[in-house]
Amino acid sequence: MADVHLSGITKSFGNVEVLHGISLAVASGEFVSLLGASGCGKTTLLRIVAGLETVTSGSVAIADRDVTALPPERRDIAMMFQSYALLPHLSVFENVRFPLRMRGIGTRAEQHERARDALETVQLAHLGDRRPRQLSGGQQQRVALARAVVSRPKVLLLDEPLSNLDARLREDMQVELIEIHNRLGLTTLFVTHDQDEALSLSDRIVLINQGRIEQMGAPAEIYDRPATAYASNFIGAANLVPASIEDGAGGPLARLEDGQHIALGDQVDERGPVTLALRQEDLALAPADADAGDGLKAQVRTRVFLGARSRYVIALGDTVVRVIDTGRATFRSGDRVRLTIDPERIRVLPR
Amino acid sequence: MTDRTENLVLVLPGLLLLALAFFVPIARMLVLSVEGEAGLTLTHFERFLSDPFYLSVLWRTVRLSLIITLICAAIGFPMAYIMAHVGPRLRLWLIVLVILPLMTSVVIRTFGWMVLLGRSGLIPEILRDLGLAERNFAIMRTEAAIVIGMVQVLLPFMTLSILGVITRIDRRLEEAARTMGCSFLGTLRTVVLPLAMPGIVAGSLLVFTLSASSFVTPNLLGGSRIQVLAASIYRSVTQTLDWPFAAAQAVILFAGVLLILIPYAQLTRRADG
Repeated sequence: MADVHLSGITKSFGNVEVLHGISLAVASGEFVSLLGASGCGKTTLLRIVAGLETVTSGSVAIADRDVTALPPERRDIAMMFQSYALLPHLSVFENVRFPLRMRGIGTRAEQHERARDALETVQLAHLGDRRPRQLSGGQQQRVALARAVVSRPKVLLLDEPLSNLDARLREDMQVELIEIHNRLGLTTLFVTHDQDEALSLSDRIVLINQGRIEQMGAPAEIYDRPATAYASNFIGAANLVPASIEDGAGGPLARLEDGQHIALGDQVDERGPVTLALRQEDLALAPADADAGDGLKAQVRTRVFLGARSRYVIALGDTVVRVIDTGRATFRSGDRVRLTIDPERIRVLPR
Repeated sequence: MTDRTENLVLVLPGLLLLALAFFVPIARMLVLSVEGEAGLTLTHFERFLSDPFYLSVLWRTVRLSLIITLICAAIGFPMAYIMAHVGPRLRLWLIVLVILPLMTSVVIRTFGWMVLLGRSGLIPEILRDLGLAERNFAIMRTEAAIVIGMVQVLLPFMTLSILGVITRIDRRLEEAARTMGCSFLGTLRTVVLPLAMPGIVAGSLLVFTLSASSFVTPNLLGGSRIQVLAASIYRSVTQTLDWPFAAAQAVILFAGVLLILIPYAQLTRRADG
């Protein structure tokens, strides 16, 4: 049973169509991320589910009820905004009680009890009398979360709620989000442009590119088997290297544009021109003068020290390749190196 | 020169102007109001406060000003809300439309209303034709005429005061309220109205003071029978030449306005806090 059912959603602003027929079903209790670069239409899609935007065509159903024509207040949803959107003229406690009051849920006493409970789950019960602006960003964030879940909506919509927090708080909030989601079992749609966030939080990722669903699947699946060049570049920031597949002595091999070749795993069916997706963290560097292997000859252009790792920018013929290396050996710009990769980790994408 | 004295020198011309043009006349007025033939006296105030006619003039002034302020707020708030939510081009046109009446003299506009509201004017005629009013129905020389004329004169002040505040309200707040179960009107009431309060207060203060002290429009539309305080002061100055009594009336108007405005301003400051 699906809690959110989108079919054939298109949306135009003026003459510009920003969503081109999106269909998506989100199962009850599922945590689905809408992932994409800014301007891809993911937030518009979320606002359509919320009822804050109308569709140009297509339909939205929530809990098996067609809500396409219903205004937001008549859909069983709650939404958490990037800017938190706490009401500045109400206390923290009244902000959390607001959805209960507006939806007429329970008596006054019950509303107070539920609002207090919700504030307790985000450990802010002691700040109920404050105004939102007297709270830190992280605290405001948690108030917004408490407010979103207090009415136990069928569907929870999150619009990049973590993007205004610093890295440390963001990790804490991710944990809090997962725990609350698991505890309440809310069907959740989460919009983000951060692939790490999507990978770590979601049951399923919907990758959106220019108003279309590029790929959809579990995080591990979408990470390990990106279907398109865009997907492999966006998730894990893979290097895209043009090549063509030939049959070599020991199986298929990929010949790069500068004539070098690299061995591939066995299950490659494509022949002819392709794009190789090489993950930054899958590539390894070795000194060029070490025992000759079948690595690719390349040259270091820049090295950025990241603490536990180093990021290298490598010139591979005319192509620029980024590598994240955890090895002890350090290379300097201008050094000649060999690039190696486990053949099984190479993704071959049709061009 | 230190920064402090430099600042003082810079502010001096303004202070001087304020002292000469504002504090001196007010002080003069205060002195005049208690001046009698034999030194200081409160007879002018006694005369005003013991005469039912003048009390009714005072009461009318306050009452009409309150009604005018209320109507301006009731029209100005939705107007400002709409202006804040339309596209920038249409907003510009609406602002021009609101300001346009300010570009003609109050006298001209009031004569316009006299034409429209008079016994054979457009509006009573239409009402009579529609059978909504009796044959001798007139709006001119009634309190209604004063209210209509004043609302038109003062509406821009209210609308623009509220507009300034409403445009700064984050639109996401309204959207958030909608997703929390608020209808459109509920959102206006529970989110926009409280947040627009500073603008409504500022506009009300402006409109109330301006209408309590206005002279031309009430005098022309209300006629000599329906006097407001400003008209009564004018009469004392120009017709009975009783300047001390005029000064006393002006002090009463001044004190009355302050008496109403100070608690009002404080009330809303607390609500805003």
